[in-house]
Amino acid sequence: MLIYILKRLVYVTPVAIGVSIVCFLLVHITPGDPLSAILPSDATLELQEQMRAAYGFDKPLPVQYALWFWKVIHGDLGTSLATGRPVASEVGRAVSNTFILSTTATLIGFTFGTFFGFVAGYFRDSWLDKLASGISVLGVSVPHYWLGMVLVIIFSAQLGWLPPTGAGPDGSGGWRPDLEHLRYIILPAITMSVIPMGVISRTVRALVGDILNQEFVQALRAKGLGEYGVFKHVVTNAAPTALAIMGLQLGYLLGGSILIETVFSWPGTGFLLNAAIFQRDLPLLQGTILVLAMFFVALNLIVDVVQTALDPRIQRG
Amino acid sequence: MTLAVDLDDKDRGGPAQPLLSVAGLVKHFPVNRGLMGGARSVVRAVDGVAFEVAKRETLGIVGESGCGKSTTARLLMHIIAPDAGEILFDGEKVGTAALDLAGYRRQVQMVFQDSHASLNPRLTMEETVAFGPRVHGFSRAAALSRAHDLLHRVGLDPSRFAGRYPHEISGGQRQRVNIARALALRPRLLILDEPVSALDKSVEAQVLNLLLDLKDESGLTYVFISHDLNVVRFMSDRVMVMYLGKIAELGPAETILQNPRHPYTAALLASMPSMDPNNRTQEAPLMGDPPNPIDPPPGCRFHTRCKFAAPVCSAKEAPLGAVGLDHAVACLMAIPGSGHPLAPALASEAA
Amino acid sequence: MAIATADIALPATKRVSRGYWTDVGRRLSRDPVAMTAACIVLLIVLAAIFAPYVAPADPYKGSMIRRLKPIWDANYILGSDELGRDMLTRLIYGGRLSLFMGGLPVALAFVIGSSVGIFAGYVGGWANTLIMRTIDVFYAFPSVLLAIALSGALGAGILNAIVSLTIVFIPQITRVAEAVTTQIRTRDYVEAARVSGAGPLTIIRVHVLGNVLGPIFVYATSLISVSMILASGLSFLGLGSKPPEPEWGLMLNTLRTAIYVQPLVAALPGAMIFITSISFNLFSDGLRSAMEVKQ
Repeated sequence: MLIYILKRLVYVTPVAIGVSIVCFLLVHITPGDPLSAILPSDATLELQEQMRAAYGFDKPLPVQYALWFWKVIHGDLGTSLATGRPVASEVGRAVSNTFILSTTATLIGFTFGTFFGFVAGYFRDSWLDKLASGISVLGVSVPHYWLGMVLVIIFSAQLGWLPPTGAGPDGSGGWRPDLEHLRYIILPAITMSVIPMGVISRTVRALVGDILNQEFVQALRAKGLGEYGVFKHVVTNAAPTALAIMGLQLGYLLGGSILIETVFSWPGTGFLLNAAIFQRDLPLLQGTILVLAMFFVALNLIVDVVQTALDPRIQRG
Repeated sequence: MTLAVDLDDKDRGGPAQPLLSVAGLVKHFPVNRGLMGGARSVVRAVDGVAFEVAKRETLGIVGESGCGKSTTARLLMHIIAPDAGEILFDGEKVGTAALDLAGYRRQVQMVFQDSHASLNPRLTMEETVAFGPRVHGFSRAAALSRAHDLLHRVGLDPSRFAGRYPHEISGGQRQRVNIARALALRPRLLILDEPVSALDKSVEAQVLNLLLDLKDESGLTYVFISHDLNVVRFMSDRVMVMYLGKIAELGPAETILQNPRHPYTAALLASMPSMDPNNRTQEAPLMGDPPNPIDPPPGCRFHTRCKFAAPVCSAKEAPLGAVGLDHAVACLMAIPGSGHPLAPALASEAA
Repeated sequence: MAIATADIALPATKRVSRGYWTDVGRRLSRDPVAMTAACIVLLIVLAAIFAPYVAPADPYKGSMIRRLKPIWDANYILGSDELGRDMLTRLIYGGRLSLFMGGLPVALAFVIGSSVGIFAGYVGGWANTLIMRTIDVFYAFPSVLLAIALSGALGAGILNAIVSLTIVFIPQITRVAEAVTTQIRTRDYVEAARVSGAGPLTIIRVHVLGNVLGPIFVYATSLISVSMILASGLSFLGLGSKPPEPEWGLMLNTLRTAIYVQPLVAALPGAMIFITSISFNLFSDGLRSAMEVKQ
């Protein structure tokens, strides 16, 4: 198992380096001089030269990358142009909010997704299956930012039950686990949970269908095993894959929360990205994307290792 | 249309020169087992194989799965490149200026085991058969007309089968198409890799008879690979028995099947189901599976399963040695003075 | 010849053989869900193409005194937007940009990704490793994040949004193309073709393309739905099209302020994205199962 983890690490390292290169290059694919994005348009020539040297833009790209990379692995993601604060601290604050929202959404999505998937897989081709499968198609097809708007229209604008935006009554700031804050997370979390619900439900349906069709389950039934026993077999066999999908979905939500966070003004990384894009705050954009992408890479690695540990069929050579 | 193909068909060396002559053929597949790709192991799929195939004869190759039969076939076809060894075709070394790979492949074709996997599901039968001639410059009409001739020759009425797709016909019919495709370039040598083992018994006989007829009509030479000794006996003039990438025994079919000299050949024969109720198999002639070809046993590779194994067998490898007219065997028991208790004494000691 | 008879008795009547795609088309036409979805897509596409003839009004002409009229208003069947423009007209016109921005990246990625993937799969070896490891890097980004990162860095605009989305989908299609090609490459019929002396280009054209393009195509159709949602999402964030262009994502964004006044009207553009996206998804599902039937 240790060897397997080492092997995965060896495999992931070049991918992680590649990801960092892509993030680094983001600043350089911006049209025009990257400096123009950083400096006000009326900056003096002297200031321009000064900043160019300060940011190392006068050096060749590989050297710039090496310098940037060295800083990054020491936790220095640069300074936000808009706020003047270190990018790392800005991202750190936002990440925890995004993480709370994504995890809640993933758990909701996983719960309903496995339920619908199980029902659909167990009663294949019945009307229950069609219903559950229909819901999952809706889940993967719905533009979630629009669903968020619709929920706001219904539960905030029309019924007035839940707050439409923000993470808490105090305006900005972080989310805390109390009743008042709980009301704020309901709508964004439900909105966000729709995608993992659809994906997980599809996967679980296929898994359950396959497992029930396998000869060993048929043999167990023929030997007189009760429905509960069969159910247990299905769960133990489907769990590793379902959990793996859940982990990956969490990763997608962490990185893909920007649209929903924008709809709900949720003070997370997506909101931060939105601000960074429109204020042309490139260091902030770069730093946020790097952190989110690295999260995703790490999560993939963890999912891989955990799935392998849980599933005896996967060889750990 | 006169083609280079037809000129190449001329017999160069005369009937005495073997059509195919293989020497020291080796193929090891690397198996990546270590971290970072270090510490590589190899599967010794084919490990020093040498044999000849005379013109117009059929050489049968038998052995259990994993013994290197199919790898040998693919090496003969140059689908995979050998690590070592040379192949002479009618006296010319393959891959030289005298006989390049393209020229060789025009004269040597192959019929694959899986009739389904070896036909492109998107092509009709006539398109499949006409593909080779098209590649070699036939016009579309000429290629299709040849395809129709060949379909007719393999017993498929072109008016009914030419426009069909693989999923619309039976396994036996598909294998007939495969044979037609292999014949489309008018080869001299056909390599048949388990051509009937995926077919029903009743269909098997029809396809085998077709192969025999085609051979007589066109003066073909066959290398016929099978795990089924009955089929090999029916088809072959000579038989080569392979075990873990090496030749165990090689000789005329009747000699080998009547009087096997290698314990492995004997075991294979004994494991054949017999029609004679008085001749039932009493004990399992072969125990277990062949050893892992990644780490073949030292000495004679068969000693782990051989009931005559002696201590010397795990220490010394038996070379392939002649034991009769055109009959060779790789067993220490056949070599006088080899140290095996059952080996004949050396002539000098006997005297 | 002695072996004139075929293996099994055949039906006396000659049956017309059908190609694979004819079969797929026949099965697809018997799938009511997929056919309904296809009709809806067709309707939306046709309406977008012939927008000037279909739409009741001018998509850009507003009226300050007739802003945010409700659905079934005397003058506006589907109400009017925050600048008093006819919603129905703008929804019909909006399909032009939304379909274009959602469809083109998938089409481009299909061409580029298939070429790269088939090349990598057929050639194998170190070239394959190099290509696929590079693809892995882009695969390591969640697609929404990559799309937003690229168009955020490139700047707002329709062209930049299309470029970003194309880059997002190329790795996904390349992976599928590489996987199917690697599978097909080792099939006996490809080896048989090689043995009959055909060059790599001939083999790819005759034996590989016909067998790999189908699965890649199905996968690409399943991406259209995602692409539509993402493209409109970019416009929703202000990264795609710019006002006053009618585009569903952008319309959804500008109408956000109206959710307290005309909630139904405000939700309409999103409903269009939803209907289009789910239709593409259902059609893609139908196509997949029509192609999966065992032969």
